[in-house]
Amino acid sequence: MHINAQELYVSTEPASNMAAGSIGVRLNTKIFSMKYESVYAVRFDPEVMFGISKKLMVHINAYTSNMYQQHLRFEGTSLYAKYRFYSSDDIQTHFRMAAFSKISFINNPQQLQVGNKFYNNDEIDLDGNNSGLLAGIVATQLLHKLALSSSAAFENRWNNLDASKLPAQSSKAVNYTLSAGYLLLPRVYTNYHQTNFNLYCEFLGSSSLDKKSYYIDAAPAVQFIFNSISRLDFSYRTQLFGNMQRLTNNNFLVRFEYNFLNVFKNR
Amino acid sequence: MKKIFLSLMIILLALITNAQAEKAQFQASGLTCSMCSNAINKALKTVPFIESINTDLNKNLFEITFKKNVPVDLDAIKKKVEDAGFSIAKFWIVADFKNVKIDKEEHVAVGNFNFHFMNVKQQTLNGEQRLQLIDKDFVSAKEFKKNNAYTSMPCYQTGTMAECCKSADANLNASNRIYHVTI
Repeated sequence: MHINAQELYVSTEPASNMAAGSIGVRLNTKIFSMKYESVYAVRFDPEVMFGISKKLMVHINAYTSNMYQQHLRFEGTSLYAKYRFYSSDDIQTHFRMAAFSKISFINNPQQLQVGNKFYNNDEIDLDGNNSGLLAGIVATQLLHKLALSSSAAFENRWNNLDASKLPAQSSKAVNYTLSAGYLLLPRVYTNYHQTNFNLYCEFLGSSSLDKKSYYIDAAPAVQFIFNSISRLDFSYRTQLFGNMQRLTNNNFLVRFEYNFLNVFKNR
Repeated sequence: MKKIFLSLMIILLALITNAQAEKAQFQASGLTCSMCSNAINKALKTVPFIESINTDLNKNLFEITFKKNVPVDLDAIKKKVEDAGFSIAKFWIVADFKNVKIDKEEHVAVGNFNFHFMNVKQQTLNGEQRLQLIDKDFVSAKEFKKNNAYTSMPCYQTGTMAECCKSADANLNASNRIYHVTI
């Protein structure tokens, strides 16, 4: 009997890619507890993923939320690409490295307005809050009992679409993550239809390069995998340390993912 | 008419051939999860010469049964595994042999394959036998390096026919691909 590692991380991406020629669809729903309002904001984020080749995959996201106003409103889109450039596999272990980049076009206001007050947001969030560009490197080590993954990325915030001028808030940051995952169930595999239950612990940090502020969040997560083809993730993300001016310090994520294998021919 | 003729030829060829590949077994590396394994499983199902697939999910072992009298391309299996995002750690071919003489560094046409036997004793193969394919990317990188000690012939590096193969045997199949195997 042994415990297997899992690297289907919830808050980050591993260095491994999805199967070439396959398409994955996700519905991500995030519920934010807003720091300056006694309300929860919600963001819906459908995502389509393409396994272009064994080394290259691409994600496209579209964001809709009520974070900056009472009603749901379409906020924009993002494009993410990941290229696996190093892979060393052995039986039930591997070490892989990938480079990734994300570009985001968002039309939200640059600041949050609550009554007559305006709040800055130094947290650069390309998942719906800000337009910008991110580029980084991720390394994933799958050992028999432990899957560890770590990434570092440089993030550059741009003016949001339709926003006239960037207010005095952070526009450059370095993000860093550390993730670990375990397969709890099943103890022994018998077929592809068994439901898998995975446990994750992820740490997500960011340091602003122009405001000298930072945060480190913890994002524990649970994951169910059904029929080896779809998954359901739940994660709670909350700030552990930090002094960054943020609009929200914690959120709850629910994600459903379904994969369509061998949809198109790859090179 | 042409189709019938072709099928007859294939059946005839199978009858006179000295061996018939029945199955392949391999261990995939770089994965532990059933979702990953399923990606390999589903990719293999699109391969035309594969009849059925059995999987041991705990050891990531796959057993493939080939369709009878359909040409088998072992590199196509490797490509499917790699496209799913993983690698092959070990790969075996199970074939039914009829009086096939082998020796180390011998090049032998076995059914539709050209085999280069490495690290074996001189013997005659009969009945069902399991050969391990030790070409690049059919074993771990570490193992491939180790196996270099068993041959000085350059065809092991590329898996394609070189001068070393041509002088060795004139009765090989027309295919340029030479699979390096051991027992």
